[in-house]
Amino acid sequence: MIDGLVQLLIWQGLGELVSILFLPNIPGPVLGLLFLLAFLLIKGEVNQPLGMVADSFRQHLGLLFVPASVGVILFLPDLKTHALAVTAALLISVVLTIATTALVLKFFAKRSHDE
Amino acid sequence: MMNERLPIAEIWVYLSGSPLFALILTLATYQLGYTLYVKANRNPIVNPVAISVLLATFCIYAIDMPYEKYFEGAQFVHFLLGTATVALAVPIYRGCNSLKGKLIPMSLALLIGSAVSIGSAVSIASVLGAGDNIVGSMYAKSVTAPIAMGIAERIHVSPTLTAVFTVATGMLGAILAPFIMNFLRIGPWWIRGTAIGVGAHGLGITRAFSVNEEAGTYASMAMGLNGVLSAVLLPVVVNYLRS
Repeated sequence: MIDGLVQLLIWQGLGELVSILFLPNIPGPVLGLLFLLAFLLIKGEVNQPLGMVADSFRQHLGLLFVPASVGVILFLPDLKTHALAVTAALLISVVLTIATTALVLKFFAKRSHDE
Repeated sequence: MMNERLPIAEIWVYLSGSPLFALILTLATYQLGYTLYVKANRNPIVNPVAISVLLATFCIYAIDMPYEKYFEGAQFVHFLLGTATVALAVPIYRGCNSLKGKLIPMSLALLIGSAVSIGSAVSIASVLGAGDNIVGSMYAKSVTAPIAMGIAERIHVSPTLTAVFTVATGMLGAILAPFIMNFLRIGPWWIRGTAIGVGAHGLGITRAFSVNEEAGTYASMAMGLNGVLSAVLLPVVVNYLRS
């Protein structure tokens, strides 16, 4: 368990380092993700402690963004004034996103089927 | 009378001053939300994050605790977001095998899907007169929350509003996706999974896995790819649009 966490923290540290030194536009953890992915592809397997920690993180990913989301309290007046804009933007956008993605893939699948 | 009340007041001063209170509040409300979620057969409407945020917000509002004070304690949980982002490499790696020959259509669908997501949300919000704060936080809302908040910091918009919009998007997407797919007559599981992964990130994946294993794997891949592509491209696009 600790073993897996140490691995993740080291990849994260490496990502932060590269982000600060060379690629300030990309968040350090995303670079850490890419480094770890490259490492896994080269090694060809996920070691057990790493897999265990990664699975528990994935299962409770939601918990980790509670602290930031509680900050919504600072924006309540703003959100109340623009409730319609926020609701409409979120609702319409999510429907369009899912529909477009599915239709693009359907188009490709059909084309490769016809060939 | 005073003697009896004083110790409790002192204990309260001590507790609310230490990180412990915020940590307990965060974890306990999430635990409650998660228990309800499992009890409700993992129905996306009973979202543990939404429950936890509602309860915790209500509590700190009721006891008049400033958000900065709460965050001082809760930052220990917040810090792990970065580590959890790195851990996403594992599900992406596991899904790589199923990607054979589908990388190009998937990447294209991701790019078009993300563009539609950002374009529609940002334009609707600004046409309806929302402020810069709200409009800016619409950019990263279809990306998985830990990456979305990293992007928000890079493009100088509120990570908080971004996180809130992200959670709302995940809930809406997970609830609506099956209806959209059936309406469009989309059959193959890999297409349904990919679309829900792009539109509804983490919550979409949970929903996809509960329906079909293949859909879940593709949803994880799509969410991971979407996150990485957005993290690389969004700051560039936003800076270009603003200049």
